[in-house]
Amino acid sequence: MGDLLSLFINSVFIGNILLAYFLGMCSFIAVSKNIETAAGLGFAVIFVLTVTSPVNWIIYHGLLAPGALSWAGFPDLDLSFLKFITFIAVIAAIVQAVEMIIDKYSPLLYASLGVFLPLIAVNCAILGTSLFMVERNYTLVESIVFGAGSGTGWMLAIVSMAAIRKKTLYADVPKGLEGFGITMIVAGLMAMTFMMFSGITL
Amino acid sequence: MSETLPEKTPDKNSRINVIKFALLVSFICSLMITAAASGLKGLQQENIELDKKINLLKAANLIDPNNKPSKAEIKTLYDTHIQAVIVDNQGKILDADSKASLHLYFYKTDKGNLGYILPINSRGLWGKIQGYLAFENDGQTVSGFSIFSHSETPGLGGEIESAWFQKNFKGKKILNSQNQFVSVGIAKGKAADLPKSEQANHVDGISGATLTGKYLSQGIKSTLAQYEPLSITFRQKGLTAKKKE
Amino acid sequence: MLKDKTHYTELLVKGIWKENPVAYQVLGICSALAVTVQMSTALVMAVALTVVTAFSSMLISSLRKKIPSNIRIIVELAIIASLVIVTDQILKAFLYDISKQLSIFVGLIITNCIVLGRAEAFALANDPIDSFVDGIANGIGYGLILVFVAFLRELLGSGKIFGLPVIPRILFDAGYQNMGLMVLAPGAFFIIGLLVWLKNSLPGISHEKK
Repeated sequence: MGDLLSLFINSVFIGNILLAYFLGMCSFIAVSKNIETAAGLGFAVIFVLTVTSPVNWIIYHGLLAPGALSWAGFPDLDLSFLKFITFIAVIAAIVQAVEMIIDKYSPLLYASLGVFLPLIAVNCAILGTSLFMVERNYTLVESIVFGAGSGTGWMLAIVSMAAIRKKTLYADVPKGLEGFGITMIVAGLMAMTFMMFSGITL
Repeated sequence: MSETLPEKTPDKNSRINVIKFALLVSFICSLMITAAASGLKGLQQENIELDKKINLLKAANLIDPNNKPSKAEIKTLYDTHIQAVIVDNQGKILDADSKASLHLYFYKTDKGNLGYILPINSRGLWGKIQGYLAFENDGQTVSGFSIFSHSETPGLGGEIESAWFQKNFKGKKILNSQNQFVSVGIAKGKAADLPKSEQANHVDGISGATLTGKYLSQGIKSTLAQYEPLSITFRQKGLTAKKKE
Repeated sequence: MLKDKTHYTELLVKGIWKENPVAYQVLGICSALAVTVQMSTALVMAVALTVVTAFSSMLISSLRKKIPSNIRIIVELAIIASLVIVTDQILKAFLYDISKQLSIFVGLIITNCIVLGRAEAFALANDPIDSFVDGIANGIGYGLILVFVAFLRELLGSGKIFGLPVIPRILFDAGYQNMGLMVLAPGAFFIIGLLVWLKNSLPGISHEKK
């Protein structure tokens, strides 16, 4: 249990999928202008990640990994090279389902998220989390915890960025840095703060 | 640009056409992927084998990590200097892998010195850390260390793959002054800051990567503990008694 | 079928400079930050992305009149994913060390906004040859930024260029130290931010689309 908790905390803070591994930047920059939309997108991402990680785990370890098909009588088959295409297909399908659920239960949220909801499917953080899960050889439970942790970390980053950007509207940002430039500088400072969670002395 | 005839549009989106199109695209994509994967598999396997050999040679200090030797040179170096064996935990050489078997590599330097290399499997902060720890024939002094794969954070835990970190392992001992097994650990800061009696059993830590250091230390210790019965026989009888001719 | 040279030159200039995917369109940031610790990884990544974008745009463009509209995105993703898998297999076979360092980022080319972005914005409305050139142009534009950022990060962060040490020992002995921050995440963010500032301050360059 302690290991899982430590995995969760690490994924949120020290190994924050956005601030340490740079995944999920495109929507991060675009959606972080408004705190409510950012939070809504963040929750959607947490949900998608917590569902896609274990589903992709099952597919990978049940069908694609070397030796995975021994239950069907093909112990020598290694289909791991198909993981990119299967993972993205699963992610696209689950995002489609999430879209339909949100549309049904909260049309307001659906309208405010607009095009960014289907764009979750191509958010590098989602595919990246599944790929990391395979690379780091997590168990099924670890993949669920890792998915939830990565999502929470991403949401934390995007909501914090939205809050900070609101403040920068009143700041005297140099013309050349407005928009994208200052977002990058702020992201860098946020990344430094998150690194402090690992107790570094630079 | 030619205009698309209006009759074509409803046809394109008809159910049957969608299915036909999807099947065609799937078929072509699968062909492309499978051709690439199976065609290149041989080369890829070779690369993985070569990587393993380079790391074994690095751990035994038989290769200079700064010049990139050619594939043929690596093969020759490996074949003349290193011998891979499978043993049980008492040191008896086995013919095939079994559940309780351990992997071991004997090496011989150009000067004729014998040593052995153990594969280290440890957990890290993010994923597995795999490497090789080489010993001199006294069974307790480390002669080299190399890291073969890891998923640690680049710049922090990822420093375990850098030369400065690995070089520090050379000369460290896995037994303390009372001849008890303590393994080699990674200190929180500099090893020189530890009490004198512990310095021979520790290397400098990596700043900002205390967790990686902690996990790697534990991993090295538990791997070495598995090989302890073997190491004890090496210490008592030396290596020549076990080397398969 | 081939148009005249000025047409293609114009496409190239647009992709590489005037509407540079990273600096102007703000696409493909994820990998721009992740693989730029060293120039060798940045270069390989740039080439891989250029190849995937060019060929996927060309393939999608040649199918553009036949793709049923409700499976459009899925078909695009399938084509892009297949090309990425092939690229990944080639890298593992011929550039094993670098593919180990790039780890998951080769796979992430699939979700790289540039590839899908060019497919949607250009390939669906233009002919295959134009789409191929546009893919190459955007790829090179992306590559230039990547290699430049990597050049700064590798030089300041490890004192090397393409793995070869360039800062003379004398400077190190005199007290010069590598800027460790450049090798870590925050360094990458700062460099991109400062580069964008530089680009926006250059006369004649249009500012980012808001």
